[in-house]
Amino acid sequence: MSTPLIGVSKSILKIKELINHVANTCLNVLITGETGVGKEVVAQNLYAESARSTKNFVKINCAALPETLLESELFGFEKGAFTGAHKKRPGKFQTADKGVLFLDEIGDMPMALQSKMLHVLQSGEFSPLGSDQEFRTDVWVIAATNHNLEQSIHKKTFREDLFYRLNIIKIDVPPLRERKEDIPSLLEYYYRLYRSEYPDNHGSKPDSEIVAKLCNYPWPGNVRQLQNCIKKQMILNSWAKIIEDLPHEYSETIPQIETDSRLKDASSLKRNEFDDDRTAIISKFVDLSTSSDKLFEDISLKKIKKLASDRVEKEVIMFVLEKLGWNRSRAAKILKISYKTLLYKMNEFEIFPPVK
Amino acid sequence: MANPNRLLIVDDNEDILSTFYEFFNSMGYEVKTAVDGFAALKLMRDKSNFFDCLITDLVMPNISGVGLISIVKKEYPHLKIIAMTGYGDQPGALASEAAADIVLFKPIDLFKIENTVSELINQANNNKKN
Repeated sequence: MSTPLIGVSKSILKIKELINHVANTCLNVLITGETGVGKEVVAQNLYAESARSTKNFVKINCAALPETLLESELFGFEKGAFTGAHKKRPGKFQTADKGVLFLDEIGDMPMALQSKMLHVLQSGEFSPLGSDQEFRTDVWVIAATNHNLEQSIHKKTFREDLFYRLNIIKIDVPPLRERKEDIPSLLEYYYRLYRSEYPDNHGSKPDSEIVAKLCNYPWPGNVRQLQNCIKKQMILNSWAKIIEDLPHEYSETIPQIETDSRLKDASSLKRNEFDDDRTAIISKFVDLSTSSDKLFEDISLKKIKKLASDRVEKEVIMFVLEKLGWNRSRAAKILKISYKTLLYKMNEFEIFPPVK
Repeated sequence: MANPNRLLIVDDNEDILSTFYEFFNSMGYEVKTAVDGFAALKLMRDKSNFFDCLITDLVMPNISGVGLISIVKKEYPHLKIIAMTGYGDQPGALASEAAADIVLFKPIDLFKIENTVSELINQANNNKKN
């Protein structure tokens, strides 16, 4: 039974419409989007609305298996084809015949397998491992990835010809933070679902203040993360606790996938980079995990300056020493300090040569 | 003037779209445009059998040109299709597989493409008569 695609945002409505128009064409689909955003749900909806809904929906995660295992899963094998092959086993290409093969995380598929995959897509034929026989298969391939495959092609980790063959229809699912208006409907859906699944639960529906807080959170794990929170709430019955527990390292997370809307947000992205750099530098000398009050009590510019300059001196001394094979007299000359001073600083900063 | 020939031009580059629109309009065609495969498909399904020829770019968001061509060939088999590509062989090869009538490489010579369009439509009309 497939999960419906939930949401009222323009992007979700457009995806529903697209699914409606293309489900019956059985053209290869590539679904992109961050982790937990709903790529598999889109795949299942495509399947459900197509003429293949009575046949198998076969799923395989290309990132979860080592290359050899992935190959044997996809193509199957003959008895004795390799150690451990005790009996013949059909591959996913066979069990998905006339149905759907959902290739999750295709961006992680090794190059050698990509070539084999391309051959099947082009010819409709494949051979199980350890067999010379060629089998025909009629499979509707739906692939999903959270990588930017165009970039992967540039980095030579993904084949361009395979990409174009998979990318006949492209559905991008935007991250939850870019469609906050979907959060209330998702809350409603999962609340109802878990209330019936766990009738003894103590969960309560969030009030409008909580909903507002939830809408403002960036949800790096997207719908899956939200779903898990709702489940937890059913048990703990405290929305306040759930919100408190949410990881807050993200002031505004930068999405992994390039989407057109990013062009509009270019200025906010720039701000993010500076925020991250600033936090990176400060956190070395200041404990940022304490509350604001304590932080302001403890902070002193003089103290931070000393910590910072000591740290820089230590790193520079080590850098030069390593380059010179730990020859201290030469290092002192390079650093333009007296040998005595170098020894003093090495003692103060606890700089010791590596033990052989 | 006899019934003007009706074109649907699809390209995600708006400059190309407007250039083609102006050009074919001035040559006496009735032209409709779409910025991606999805918009084009909706237009076609809205007005079934309205168009004589489809000119489409290949690399586009949502429904790619290749996807559009595959769908159109199945649903409107008599429609003539010209595919345009600027991305090297890959999409072009797929377009041929999807049975586009002609694949042209960018940059497109406008007069050449107009020639191609009128040839294809004449061919289609002759086939209809026979």
